[in-house]
Amino acid sequence: MHSPSLTTLSRIAASLALAGIAGAALAQAQAQEPKYGGTLNFASGSAGVATLSWDLADWQATLQTRDTGQFYEQLFAVDLSKAKSRGGKYPFTISGWQPTDAVRGELAESWSWPTPLTLEVKLRQGVKFPAKKGVMEERELVAEDIVYNFNRMNTSPKRTQGYYDHVEKVEAQDKYTVVFNFNKYIADWDYRFGNGFFSGIVPKEVVAAGAGNWKNVNGTGPFMLTNVAQGNALTFSKNPVYWDKATIGGKSYQMPFVDRVVHRVIKDDSTQQSALRTGKIDILSSISWEAAKELKKSTPQLLWNRWLTTSAPRVALRVDTKPFTDVRVRRALNMAVNKQEIVDKFYGGEAALFTFPMHPEYVGYHRPLNEQPASVQELFKYDPAKAKKLLTEAGFPNGFAFKMQICSCNIESMELMPLVAAYLEAVGVKMEITPMEYGAHLSAMTSHTNAAGYLTTIPDVNPTTSLRINFGKDQVYNAPMMNDAKFDASVAAAIGERDEAKRQQMLRELTTQVLDQAPAIWMPAPYRYTAWWPWVKNYGGEMFVGAGRVAPIHAQLWIDQDLKKKMGF
Amino acid sequence: MKTQAISMTAAGKARAPQRPSALRSFFRKLFREKRLGAAGAVVAIFFLLVGIFADVIAPYGMNEVDMGARMHAPSWEHPFGTDNLGRDLLSRCIYGAQISVIIGLSVAVISTVISALIGIISGYFGGKIDMLIQRFVDAWMSFPGLVVLIVVASVFGSGITQIILTLGLLIGIGGSRIVRSAVVSVREDMYIHAAKSIGASAPRILWRHVLPNVIPPLIVLFSSSVGAAILAESGLSFLGLGVPPPHPTWGGMLSGNGRTYMLQGPWLALAPGICLTLVVYAINVFGDALRDMLDPRMRGTR
Amino acid sequence: MMQTYILRRLLALLPTLLIASIIVFVIVRMVPGDVVDLMLSQNDAGSNKLTRDQLMETLGLDKPIWQQYGIWISRLAFHGDLGDSLWQGDSVLSMIAERLPVTFELGLLAMIIALTVAIPVGVYSAVKQDTAGDYITRSFSLLMLAVPSFWIGTMVTVFPSIWWGWSPEIHFTPFLEDPWANLQQMLIPATILGLSLSAITMRMTRTMMLEVLRQDYIRTARAKGLSELLILTRHAVRNALIPVITLIGSQAPILIGGAVILEQIFVLPGMGLLLLDAVNQRDYPVVTGVFFIVGISVMLINLVVDLSYGLIDPKVRQR
Repeated sequence: MHSPSLTTLSRIAASLALAGIAGAALAQAQAQEPKYGGTLNFASGSAGVATLSWDLADWQATLQTRDTGQFYEQLFAVDLSKAKSRGGKYPFTISGWQPTDAVRGELAESWSWPTPLTLEVKLRQGVKFPAKKGVMEERELVAEDIVYNFNRMNTSPKRTQGYYDHVEKVEAQDKYTVVFNFNKYIADWDYRFGNGFFSGIVPKEVVAAGAGNWKNVNGTGPFMLTNVAQGNALTFSKNPVYWDKATIGGKSYQMPFVDRVVHRVIKDDSTQQSALRTGKIDILSSISWEAAKELKKSTPQLLWNRWLTTSAPRVALRVDTKPFTDVRVRRALNMAVNKQEIVDKFYGGEAALFTFPMHPEYVGYHRPLNEQPASVQELFKYDPAKAKKLLTEAGFPNGFAFKMQICSCNIESMELMPLVAAYLEAVGVKMEITPMEYGAHLSAMTSHTNAAGYLTTIPDVNPTTSLRINFGKDQVYNAPMMNDAKFDASVAAAIGERDEAKRQQMLRELTTQVLDQAPAIWMPAPYRYTAWWPWVKNYGGEMFVGAGRVAPIHAQLWIDQDLKKKMGF
Repeated sequence: MKTQAISMTAAGKARAPQRPSALRSFFRKLFREKRLGAAGAVVAIFFLLVGIFADVIAPYGMNEVDMGARMHAPSWEHPFGTDNLGRDLLSRCIYGAQISVIIGLSVAVISTVISALIGIISGYFGGKIDMLIQRFVDAWMSFPGLVVLIVVASVFGSGITQIILTLGLLIGIGGSRIVRSAVVSVREDMYIHAAKSIGASAPRILWRHVLPNVIPPLIVLFSSSVGAAILAESGLSFLGLGVPPPHPTWGGMLSGNGRTYMLQGPWLALAPGICLTLVVYAINVFGDALRDMLDPRMRGTR
Repeated sequence: MMQTYILRRLLALLPTLLIASIIVFVIVRMVPGDVVDLMLSQNDAGSNKLTRDQLMETLGLDKPIWQQYGIWISRLAFHGDLGDSLWQGDSVLSMIAERLPVTFELGLLAMIIALTVAIPVGVYSAVKQDTAGDYITRSFSLLMLAVPSFWIGTMVTVFPSIWWGWSPEIHFTPFLEDPWANLQQMLIPATILGLSLSAITMRMTRTMMLEVLRQDYIRTARAKGLSELLILTRHAVRNALIPVITLIGSQAPILIGGAVILEQIFVLPGMGLLLLDAVNQRDYPVVTGVFFIVGISVMLINLVVDLSYGLIDPKVRQR
């Protein structure tokens, strides 16, 4: 057994070396002249679910944007020049949020607030929809398109009721100016329409031809959908009239560089990793730490990026069900679990104690654990004696039993939970692990019929939205069944706060409050890895420009085909 | 009276050293002539005993986590090594044997009974009964087994009982066709016509003529059901529908940790994989030998 | 009378299908976790009762079940339309039409491989009963039966990628577009499936061959003085085909319904994964539609199998 310090040191050295290599590679790439051509093959996480519907009006959010985002663009995106791999401060590995100082207009060139409730957006001029046979001629994007899309989303029979209640009216002032009239301010206005899951701009010609048919889709984005082999691969080809340019080494280049992008839909982890090893896939995002360890050994030429998952597991405890009505019991369960040991031993150190729902990447909203008040910190410290004391105080000197529902599809947690159960048993609490099938498990939560204990890994998407949807009364993801009117009002007030610094502070405090209330057993969040081959240039492991979209990242990378051939692929 | 008594005792004494027990001669024939089958039987019985006495034999618990002993290669303390949670693999394989025995035998019994009932009734009586039953079998067989299993898992949860009943039903109805085809080909045989013409009753015919001739396929079905059930459970584990933790099954270990740690810890796959393959193989080989020996038409031949 | 038999059988299919379709229709909707809950969770936005009701109505799920079934069956009967996917909006028929050829090809290839291996091996094994050759061939085929398919699939996918930098083809090309590219992906999973099928078939072939070799009419034929080979080929093999055809009938669900595990490992866009995804996502029309197509195809295949019995087994024909 190695001494911990040695392992930690070597790990730090390794990641420094990796960062060094990746950074050096990027720097070198920056100096290198980019070449056009080639195909990018990428595969994402183990979900392997292909786009279910191509029509944005179907409101399928989380599943759609990765693929529809290759051709449908939005008003805003993140500024990739602020990426960590380019010397900036954001890794851009989270899906739903854009830091305010890293926002870049995509279809929008500039925007301003003439009045506190009026947003004026000036569109980029010269952005074109490419010609699509049988659907539309090539034409320029105009303000009417934005208005059309907003209204279409807002009248869709599948929309979330009340999602756009804050918008009074959207109108096109002139050819390139869109005006949004709000009736109240909410902090995630851009998340709801602008850079979110429901913000893609679809031309009305596509809708007329049938927006759900993949053969009709057409957008301003860098790639066009050319082939769908459901369950196998989605093929996209370069948009010949794409508007954006990349600046590399001081020179400006027309994007995209690659001719084709193929999204490989592979359900099986082993198959994904083998395909990566043999160069059939260029980028594989979302690799588990165990697989990463092995891949680094077998394929040392790969470049790596590590990121903290947003899907941190936690065992939600129903605050409306005995014995979890008593906050002491909930806190006791937190203290009874040795979370640091789980990080060290179960995850091999590749995890972090997580202050759900504030991900460390939410700069300004996130307060690290060591800066949280003592009462929160103690929830993450292993103290079975104190746990037992609290339980006795609450009237359970001999413990109790409760049922915990878990999805049998979540393999990692299925392994972890018996460990947690063992910790709880040591203080007399018996956790009955009840595996459920995916649909049944999810539905138990969304229909509010879940058991007293419920393992959820719903990701935190957005610092302003997450508190609301995970702990708000009657919200779909509110597994703990929290029903705190005061809390809800405070969250609403925070969301309505225009001043960002003030908003951040309010949300920080609300997060601390939620952590303290312990409506769940907070569990560590594992790290995950993204790997790519060195011939993928101008890429540093970024994953999202917001709301699950990855297209702009693909647009600005290029494939060094000579290097690929030299390496033997 | 005296003479009667004498003659009776004489007869009794004369009858004593008659034929040896049928069972003993069966085993003798097995070990002498069907060596492969005998080997299979030995292996199968070995695992059966391991499964039955699992609680006594296993050195550690089935779910004894020991984070300090993670991913140890085979050693004296852990002859099969440990897994990613420090659990002793030998013990888990032993408990896996227990579950495999339970699942395998239960499914085999249920499916063989179902196959026999449906196949014999359908095949022997023919006509409308046959038509009706076969339509039902057809409909059932066209249900993708996966749908049935997922539906059962979703509605009733995933557990050993649900898996056993569902697999038993699926394999049983599927196997009934083979039994039926054997019955049908026998039904047309001359001596059944002969027996019928003599006036033998249906049950008698079934018992004396049909049954002995469907026993070979039934035996093959039984033995292949055991193997099929154990294999099916492993496939279900791969899809996430198998026996849920903490019960270790060979299939679950193989498709789970075995695949994840295939390169870092090959013993995680080798141990359950070899157990699984060995048992299924042994049972099938034994079943083959059994069929060879019990086939009435083979008796007297070599 | 053959024609009336076929007609009778075809007509008998209809009530069976109808009843089975009702059962599937109802059961899939009985499974806990309905599609609206799942859709709402994908919505990410946090929903409420209004959204739920609206969605139910849009999807036509607010109607009573018997009415939903009525709509489904009338669409099928009058328009040959199996409905549309609740998630994708695509017609179920088109989704199946895309996936069925893949599955069918996999099954067909597997069966060809299986029979090519099994029949000669089974016959050889029967003729040379209990010799070393018999033992070896039987042992090998039983071994194929004992190793789980996902394990072989995983090993084939992983180890060569590490040792030789080679992994199976993951890109799907339709057969008609480029047969060789298509086969590059299909051959390996087809072989794995085929080898395990061959084990069962070989055993059955051997069994029937052995029994048949001792049948009376073989003895009669021998007595007549016909050469050994002629006897074998004409009488014995023909009868030994019976379990083989039975097997084809019993494997029909795989031929049409897909082999989920192999599809998953080798990235084959087949019916198995279509069904698995549809059930997981509670896409009721797709599940019902897939079942229906699989059901009808399997029943037709079995009809052909039963008719083949009549052709092959002279005793059965006397009915």
